[in-house]
Amino acid sequence: MKTLVLLVFSAFFCAYSYSANVSVRLAVKNGVLEFNDGSSASCKIFTSSPAFAKNSDLLIFNSGDIITLKVVNTTAENHGFTIDGVLNLGVISPNDSIQQTFTSPPSGVYRFFDPLNFPYNEYLGLSGVMHIKEINDVTPYFYWDLREHQLSWNTSILLGNSPVLNSYEPFYFTINGNSEPDINLDTIARVVGNVGSEVRVIIVNNGLSIHSMHFHGYHAFLLKNSKNIAHEGREKDTFPVYPKEYVLLSFVPDKPGEYPVHDHNLVAVTGGGIYHAGMFTTLLIAP
Amino acid sequence: MRKILLFFSVFSICNAWSQIDYSKLIIGRNMGTHTFHDGEQTRIFGFTETLSAATKIPGPTIYLNSGDSVKLDFWNMSQGAPHTIHLHGLDVNQQNDGVGMFSFEVMHNEHGFYYFKAPHPGTYLYHCHVGSTIHLQAGMYGLIVVRPADGNPLLNWENGESYDREFPLLASEIDTVWHNDTILDHEHDMTMPLYVPATFNPNYFLVNGKSGTQLSAIPNHLLALPNEKIYMRLANIGYYGVRFIFPAILEARTVASDGRPLPAEVVHDTIEVLPGERYETFLQLGTENSYPFIVEHFNLNTQVVSSSQTMVIETTFSGVETNEKVAFEIFPNPTNGIFEISEMVTENYQIYSLEGKKLKESMESPVSISDFANGSYLLHYKGNTVFIVKD
Repeated sequence: MKTLVLLVFSAFFCAYSYSANVSVRLAVKNGVLEFNDGSSASCKIFTSSPAFAKNSDLLIFNSGDIITLKVVNTTAENHGFTIDGVLNLGVISPNDSIQQTFTSPPSGVYRFFDPLNFPYNEYLGLSGVMHIKEINDVTPYFYWDLREHQLSWNTSILLGNSPVLNSYEPFYFTINGNSEPDINLDTIARVVGNVGSEVRVIIVNNGLSIHSMHFHGYHAFLLKNSKNIAHEGREKDTFPVYPKEYVLLSFVPDKPGEYPVHDHNLVAVTGGGIYHAGMFTTLLIAP
Repeated sequence: MRKILLFFSVFSICNAWSQIDYSKLIIGRNMGTHTFHDGEQTRIFGFTETLSAATKIPGPTIYLNSGDSVKLDFWNMSQGAPHTIHLHGLDVNQQNDGVGMFSFEVMHNEHGFYYFKAPHPGTYLYHCHVGSTIHLQAGMYGLIVVRPADGNPLLNWENGESYDREFPLLASEIDTVWHNDTILDHEHDMTMPLYVPATFNPNYFLVNGKSGTQLSAIPNHLLALPNEKIYMRLANIGYYGVRFIFPAILEARTVASDGRPLPAEVVHDTIEVLPGERYETFLQLGTENSYPFIVEHFNLNTQVVSSSQTMVIETTFSGVETNEKVAFEIFPNPTNGIFEISEMVTENYQIYSLEGKKLKESMESPVSISDFANGSYLLHYKGNTVFIVKD
């Protein structure tokens, strides 16, 4: 809900203002992520919500905004907060907070994350997406934060262990913390568009696995690719999103209909061993 | 009721597609047997072109010409769950996309028809999209190669770059646990959960359905003439990542992906192909020699390489005719103008000049080139090309 408020707030300023002073308060919180089959995993997130959310907040600002960011650590462990290439708040002790005011960086996509206990705190959910938009950019954007979950890893990490990546075998796969069919209920994720109107999707892989995203119905242009610049400008129907990488893509639908998008590692379209309760959503395109 | 709906759908579509340039029958099967390089066997699903054909991995490659109006007749003769054909990357409309919940599924002994325009020349895929995590792993997949509008088999796209020979390589893998009857013969009810095995641990890693010595042994080398320019169509339909690692001497140069030219060609010996992706790469062969290259499969969760296998391109003046890529023969050859194709002609063949100009397209048999000048020509049929000499 708070994320939606941010979106509306941002959209308001897109339309009526050139820049703004914006304050954001994020809390590091413990919580439980529940899956559709009744399973659950203990997680952590950066959230502005009073309740535990499924995913860390999506931060959207306009280019030129003056942002005052306060991060409060409500857990019993040390945590950090870094926006890749923008700022690092350092170590935040339990029940402590750190605040910093900064001018928004150039328009683009930035990952934020907890750099401590790498990569486990990120894996638990302490990572997210910041999108800096140009003030006059009215293109509809949708946001997919890709993650996988191996429940035994969550338990092990929270007990202080460091499971080895060679043992990683996730069983749940989510976009913005949701699996199919709930992804399509998330208005930030579910692409709704019209024939002839550009749609942009920002895909960030905050998980540990490589995801190979396949679009039915359309090829998309990869406008930005944070780790593989050579991929930029390619027109693809299937493309990799590597861990800690983001892809900004654009397409203009040429026909109406409902078309799936999913990881083409088809194990990742399952969730809890159920087909297709995983990383699977649809594009809904009106004439 | 379902058949009435299907009929109505087909009737409507047929009216909308009054002219069909190319029609193709694909049959879905679920009782095939695959034999691995070590002699082990497993049950597979798959696609065939005829009822008598053995079910193989991958299914038959479908060759189309860009711009053609295509009718794909899918006949499900599997006696199990319904199937579909998803036209992966062809950007067809919802009705023809092969995703059952948004269009239709094809039950046993029913036909489903897919109508679409063949897109930009390039490499695409087709596969079943019913319970696809299980059905695709079971073997229901194949390649689609779209030629330029004139069907030229030696040119990547109109005003593109020509080549002497192409090798389509489709990577996948098999976890034989997933091929047990209890998993393959699953109940199908779209309102009920469909369970897949808890883990995917493939024990065979495939390229064009082959593994181990089936890839590396001398009889299975990819044969070409010395100094030929080769077009590799590299595709991955598995659930692992794949790297094709070519020796530097072959000057690998990737020019297209997913059926579209790249904005800039990439000169790189290692081409990483993720599940569902396709890349098109030129190789420049040298003198008579063997050119081994590596195919790695790696786990997308751990990024650990699970398999590293060797394939070989062999350049020779003497062995090219035995290349298994050529699935038919013509006789007599040389010919005085009339010759036969060694198998039943069930679809159009094309005859080209050595410069790549299409001279004839027909299904007539025997084949007549009586009105052609004496010389050498190329006959292209079902994805294979042979030389004809008229004297």
